[in-house]
Amino acid sequence: MTTGLADAMTSHEVTYLEAISQALDEEMSRDERVFLMGEDIGAYGGAFKITEGFLQKYGDHRVLDTPLAESGIVGAAIGAAMMGLRPVVEMQFADFISCAFDQIIEVAAKNHYRWNAPVPMVIRAPFGGGVHGGPFHSECPEGWFFHSPGLKLVAPSTPYDAKGLLKAAIRDPNPVIYFEHKFLYRRIKAVLPTEDYIVPIGKAEVKRTGGTISVITYGAMVHLALEAATVLEKENIQLEVVDLRTLIPLDKETIYESVRKTSKAIMLHEDNKTGGIGAEIAALLAEDCFDSLDGPVLRVAAPDTPVPFSTPMEEFFLPKASDIVAAARMLAAY
Amino acid sequence: MDLSVVAKDITRTDLLHLYYYLQLTRTLENRITALYRQGRIVGGVYTSHGMEAIAVGYAFALQSQDVIAPYHRDMGAFLIRGITPGEVIAQYLGKRTGPTKGKDGNVHIGDLKRGVIGFVSHLADNLPVATGAALAFHIRGEPHVVVTNTGDGGTSRGDFHEAMNFAAVRKLPVVFFCNNNQYAYSTPVRNQMAVANVADRATGYGMPAEIVDGNDVAAVYLAARRAIQKARSGGGPTFLECKTMRMHGHSEHDPAKYVPQALLDEWKKKDPIVKAEAMLKTLGYADEAYFHDIEERVKKEVDAGVEWAEQSPLPDGRETLDGVFATEAEVAS
Amino acid sequence: MQTEIIMPQLGESIAEGTVIEWLIPVGGRVEKDQSLLEVETDKVALEIPSPSSGFLTDVLIPVGQTVPVGTVLAHLNTDSPDPTVVSRVGGVVVRQMDLSPAEEDHYSPAVKQIAREHGVDLSLLQGSGGGGRITKKDVLDYIAQQDDTRKTVTRSVETEQPVTVTQDEKVLPLTAMRKMIAERMVKSRHTSAHVVTVFEADFSAVAKVRENQPLTYLPFVIHAVARAIRDFPVLNSSWGEAGIIQKRDIHVGIAVALEDGLLVPVVKHADRKRLTQLGHEVTDLAERARTKKLNPEEVQGGTFTITNHGGFGSLLSTPIIHQPQIAILGVGAVQKRTVVINEAIAIRPMAYLSLSFDHRVIDGARADSFMKKVKSYIEQEEWGQIL
Repeated sequence: MTTGLADAMTSHEVTYLEAISQALDEEMSRDERVFLMGEDIGAYGGAFKITEGFLQKYGDHRVLDTPLAESGIVGAAIGAAMMGLRPVVEMQFADFISCAFDQIIEVAAKNHYRWNAPVPMVIRAPFGGGVHGGPFHSECPEGWFFHSPGLKLVAPSTPYDAKGLLKAAIRDPNPVIYFEHKFLYRRIKAVLPTEDYIVPIGKAEVKRTGGTISVITYGAMVHLALEAATVLEKENIQLEVVDLRTLIPLDKETIYESVRKTSKAIMLHEDNKTGGIGAEIAALLAEDCFDSLDGPVLRVAAPDTPVPFSTPMEEFFLPKASDIVAAARMLAAY
Repeated sequence: MDLSVVAKDITRTDLLHLYYYLQLTRTLENRITALYRQGRIVGGVYTSHGMEAIAVGYAFALQSQDVIAPYHRDMGAFLIRGITPGEVIAQYLGKRTGPTKGKDGNVHIGDLKRGVIGFVSHLADNLPVATGAALAFHIRGEPHVVVTNTGDGGTSRGDFHEAMNFAAVRKLPVVFFCNNNQYAYSTPVRNQMAVANVADRATGYGMPAEIVDGNDVAAVYLAARRAIQKARSGGGPTFLECKTMRMHGHSEHDPAKYVPQALLDEWKKKDPIVKAEAMLKTLGYADEAYFHDIEERVKKEVDAGVEWAEQSPLPDGRETLDGVFATEAEVAS
Repeated sequence: MQTEIIMPQLGESIAEGTVIEWLIPVGGRVEKDQSLLEVETDKVALEIPSPSSGFLTDVLIPVGQTVPVGTVLAHLNTDSPDPTVVSRVGGVVVRQMDLSPAEEDHYSPAVKQIAREHGVDLSLLQGSGGGGRITKKDVLDYIAQQDDTRKTVTRSVETEQPVTVTQDEKVLPLTAMRKMIAERMVKSRHTSAHVVTVFEADFSAVAKVRENQPLTYLPFVIHAVARAIRDFPVLNSSWGEAGIIQKRDIHVGIAVALEDGLLVPVVKHADRKRLTQLGHEVTDLAERARTKKLNPEEVQGGTFTITNHGGFGSLLSTPIIHQPQIAILGVGAVQKRTVVINEAIAIRPMAYLSLSFDHRVIDGARADSFMKKVKSYIEQEEWGQIL
């Protein structure tokens, strides 16, 4: 027995990955309806070892090693959820979620709307690049699902949020896609509360207050924004970093409050620029906060290409702190 | 079907019930088609005309806590699960009293309380979902079964493969029906698959399979009953291919000129209601007068249903915005 | 232009060096003196700064390789980048904002909103944003400053005896407009050295044209004033510490009386407009001023003001200058009066024109020369030809 389970009881620093593991463990202990499905999650403990030890603890009726069949697995999860269980499906990499797109969009998202059948399930999707994963292990697919009414999408950036949001997702009566950023797995740590807590779905959080420019972002980019903020504060440019935490439903109140204060906004995401979530938020600002804007709304995002493999190319592809700094300097001077 | 087996294995009462449901299904679908041709129903109309024995046969073999995950030619199963003719018409008319309150149309009927999983137009999407429902029963150790159905065309999709495989690997309590009515819209079965029978595919999954006369309600019922019992007692899934013929077009707007008339003529003689009446007469369970009474009875039921549905209110346009998300209260158990 | 990055001599006896790490990826941008790569010899390890700003176009010597001093390690493209490109955000170009001098009336939504809420005349502000743009901060700072001023003003007022209200007295609450007018009028009196000079003009020629045209007197006065300003441009200016700021464009404000206050919508480029057009604009602006449908731009930017106090019967006036302008013309009621023409008594429609001017900027002689022109333009015979 290793990491995830043994450390659940202590309160020293845990990594983002361990926080996810703790959330799964605690929810499975708390609610016998919760069960896991995924490839290599049982005997192998999961590609990222998040479910290490779970098969031994919960048995093979609650930790299912499935065949390589994302559509079939997600479809099965939908059926099980409708029968009253709480499946948590793991996509080994978010990139493979495209195999299950049909079941997610046509069945899971529309079921309650069409015939009042709740589908209380969670799909965990390890997304994002910076790990030399190339085009099929680094994708940010949230944009595809952003546009499907009936789904909830969450993307935590810290261990605290990772644990709290996963718990909230499991307890939510709707299908939730949980985007965990693989780059953050072992790179960030925090001390977490020992008592049970959730992070409510639909609430953004201001991770850093500032009066000059609002940076609206999520996932690993939150940390990049904070890094840029420390550079910029020396030039008297104070970034306010708004961590969306939930993508659907968007916390418009927090976003608007920030932009009304600063009057300047930058959308920041690792997903491709065109049609990314930043585009929707920029449109909302133009619609609802027009009279508060003192400068154009900018977007800092990856270019419209698949994620390249070669290191210099991936570095070129991913937004950097220096890009945020440059955009902020320009906007501040406007 | 060997009538001595029928006499032994099915009670007279059950056979008469089966016949009643065949007639109810036929009459209801004929009425829907008529309303469609009169312009009182809009949108698509898909019937099980000539194939009623399949849904009636399998649904009748289920118990109340079992679940069905049907496709678009399972009207008989809806009726046996307790969806009333009135509700079906209301659904077609897009009324607020229909099972989906106007949100979805024609046979996309779903109701968890009556164990009916709502159909999705993407054929074979219902199969993994059925497998999942069976998985839930398996995990909880409950003696319930799921029956799912699709057409010959549906078995070409990846979800058919993934569901069959998963169910077989885990020995889940699900029975896979296939309504092989020889045409998927205009595509004849020989352009759909290279195997002679859909049932031949089941071997690939290590799943037992049977081929059944889809127009013989007794045969379907008995095969279903066996497979369901096997699943219920932990014996795993079975694949049942029902051979039949699609007597109308893919939908009621399709004249289906691509189907050779000779084929239709041949299968007309094997009409499931005609066959059932012959069987009942031979067994001495019923006569023409009885058949006539049933016809009258179902006609009245359908008439009452149509009237009720037509008087039901349409939803307000603004109800479009409702129900995207479920609330906590709905899942509180 | 391509620049070569070469392996430097890291000490007198050193003949070669090893590339340890490239700190900038290929294609990445580097600033002058920013560390480009790390190299090492057996004596020392050093970061090599970039000789100029640019983009690293290629790397010839990979990490770990040892080469002689002088070897070309990489190439730098030092062309000034596309000026519209501020940053290659992973190839997604973040475009340079157009920071050309702010155009007239270019205010951001936030700036307009705040100006509207606080009744700020944006033409009074200096912009600190790119290209002289007035930023939100500029407006907020201005308002804060005004508040401070207001506080000092009210403080001095408060040193007088506090006002108590008796049974015979009634308090009419101050509207925002009343407060603003009060503040502006007092401030203007404290700012300019007001002097008034009065002329009388014969409106016969105007009256003749008015027989056939649905025009009021005002468009004629505006037209005449605009022509006179062209002759005496100093009337179209503002006082500045560094010098009198003479403005090229002639924007004439028209005072419009409201139920409890007044607004001064502006006719832009009055000198370029024909009489009939002036007529339309005046009617439209006045109407919209009364129904409160003016846009912020329409009450800003005036360079000279005309107040038609004669509309209510007044003959003469000593109007208050609308800051930061330096003059305001009052037009009295047009009345038939007996005048002496060619040694005979005649009856003509006459009106007094009262010019208040700022004696800091112009003297009486100049003011009177201007008014003489105004009078002559009003009295000209050719009105019918320049409709």
